[in-house]
Amino acid sequence: MLLNSQSQSAPENLPENPPVITVEGVSKKFCRDLRRSLFYGVQDIAADLTGGRRHSDRLRSHEFWALKDINFQLHRGEALGLVGTNGAGKSTLLRIISGLIKPDVGKVRVSGRIAPLIALGAGFNPILTGRENIYANMSILGLTTSQIEARFQDVVDFAEIEEAIDAPVQTYSSGMAARLGFACAIHTDPEILLIDEVLAVGDARFKAKCYRRLYEIRQRGVSFILVNHNPQAILNICDTAVYLSKGCLAARGNSGEIVAQYEKDLFLDEVEFGSNRMSLPAKPRAESLGLDIRDLFFRDEYGNILQALFAGEAVSFCVGIESYHVFEGITMHVKINKIGGEDNSGTVLYLNGENDDVYFSTESGQYELRLELPYLGLEAGAYTMNLKIKKDSIYTFDVVESFKFTVQSKSRENKCVFYQPRTWKIMESASKADAFPH
Amino acid sequence: MPPEVVYTPDSLLRRPRYLLWTMWRDLLAARELAWRLMVRDISAQYRQAFLGIAWAFIPPIAMAYGFTLAKEANVFTVGATDIPYPAYVMFNTALWQTFVDAATGPVQAVILAKPMLSRVNFPREAIILAKLGEVGFNFGIKLILIVGLFLYFRVPVSWTILLAPVALIHLILLGTLVGVLLAPVGVLYQDVSKSLNMVMGFWLFLTPVIYPVPTEGLFGALVAWNPVTPLLVTIRELATTGVLTHPVGFWVVSGLTLVGLVLTWVGFRIAMPYVVERVTS
Repeated sequence: MLLNSQSQSAPENLPENPPVITVEGVSKKFCRDLRRSLFYGVQDIAADLTGGRRHSDRLRSHEFWALKDINFQLHRGEALGLVGTNGAGKSTLLRIISGLIKPDVGKVRVSGRIAPLIALGAGFNPILTGRENIYANMSILGLTTSQIEARFQDVVDFAEIEEAIDAPVQTYSSGMAARLGFACAIHTDPEILLIDEVLAVGDARFKAKCYRRLYEIRQRGVSFILVNHNPQAILNICDTAVYLSKGCLAARGNSGEIVAQYEKDLFLDEVEFGSNRMSLPAKPRAESLGLDIRDLFFRDEYGNILQALFAGEAVSFCVGIESYHVFEGITMHVKINKIGGEDNSGTVLYLNGENDDVYFSTESGQYELRLELPYLGLEAGAYTMNLKIKKDSIYTFDVVESFKFTVQSKSRENKCVFYQPRTWKIMESASKADAFPH
Repeated sequence: MPPEVVYTPDSLLRRPRYLLWTMWRDLLAARELAWRLMVRDISAQYRQAFLGIAWAFIPPIAMAYGFTLAKEANVFTVGATDIPYPAYVMFNTALWQTFVDAATGPVQAVILAKPMLSRVNFPREAIILAKLGEVGFNFGIKLILIVGLFLYFRVPVSWTILLAPVALIHLILLGTLVGVLLAPVGVLYQDVSKSLNMVMGFWLFLTPVIYPVPTEGLFGALVAWNPVTPLLVTIRELATTGVLTHPVGFWVVSGLTLVGLVLTWVGFRIAMPYVVERVTS
């Protein structure tokens, strides 16, 4: 699943200037047992204070490597994305780079002033006003009073809290406080920005503003390390990316390739890739409500069973059922949710027979219900389907809570929400009358 | 191009020159931040208190009133004091309170700053300096009480009162030494802040705050060995009679405090990254 770090060559078009951050063989160990962890902390302090060796390269009991032998460089003006699942060690790495905690093995060299956007609103005191908190917060981020005064108005404008600036921060909405925190951090004019999952603040419009601001800062030659669960953000901002998996550097390369690999690993860990089929054993008669779902799968337009689904192609969703009686008014309810993606939830499609006035009837025996789609409108990604077979809209025969399937794309990387069937054309204006008015 | 910073697992004690240089640099860099934090904390502290700065006066007055009542009822007997007993207790309480503030302040401040510490790499000294400033500020307010007290009881004042602030600074530094020593462990283990109040209560009992310095017995020896005793007594004597009874003890404790404070500071710097690592994910 993972590529070896040695086998990944750096992209050829790396800028030829000196690195601003060099991470050399960095490892860090953690302990999940709190009591032990605190005790190890005291032990480490004691060893360090006596100048002794802490043997930090060996694991003590109940410890594990949160980071293991990480190597990479960040060059001036480069934007590097850091992807990986929760607990892969992304935040730990950022904390070592910003000097908050010491590496246990290896070295980090940093030249340039780092601004961590890990800490939105660090030191905000809720009973003080926005104005007072801007001074305190930016001071913590390393600015002098005169520097803060020079930027004060920009911060207020950016955060859009002009009218609330002299009100206590505890009266702010969570979005306002977050905007203020982000505005303070982004106006510190750093040489290196470490951004950890903080772009999820505020509403969509403010988010867009944050991204625009990051883009401007990037144009000025500031180097970035961006941690984000939303791979699209990494693709938009970063040229290169590092993929951390369970504390190890799994791959490094240009952001498109790395994000693709990460997403593949992320979704396909759970779903057996290419099967897109789910078969259920026959229920004992006592548990059956008279009609059971036995099989879920897809067929193409010629009736062949499909293993791989592609956006935009004709596909039929098929449900094999077993009926034990004569029934009428049977409907199929299909609800499809996307896994991952922007907000990690939300129904993409909800189709049911009643809305379309389609009812089936069965006698005793096996049937295949089909939902024919001339174009599969779902974009590439992983989905879960919730399927119900009902009668007269209230009586549910059988349910499949979660049928996972994946859709692939034959077109190039795009940012669409759904697949739009399309053709592009150019036409010559037929006559003078059709031409533009003068 | 700013100088390159290197983070390694090695102990900073192996690079003493670098360590001292960074300590000096961060102390300078911390001044402005410390000022900001102090302003923030003081404004927040008084804004959410209805009685405001009256809180600086209430404990010494309450204590003096209580003990004066008890003394007059002959619940306990104390020897003769240089100045009227209520003034004696009030003045001493103000000084003791300042010492306690200086000792407990750093522990509380570092615990409160935990979210900040775990996210931003700012000079950690700023937290301590801000607390020192706050202690100074609170004493300044108590000073109003002390001046009123001296006028009311017509306490004779010697010219040596001009030297009293120096001795007061030594007392605050001794408190800070205790506070900075405990702060890193205090973040890791709640036992420290839980026991601190108890320890301070016991320490008060061993300090000549409500009674004059005893000279005999085990108790006298304990009080004499209490490092706060010579500092507190010297401040009071400088401010009132001008005749010092504990000059040697004062200089010994002051010297040890200054040396100890620098060593504690080194320890604090070295310990903080480990503390941050353990208290946050």
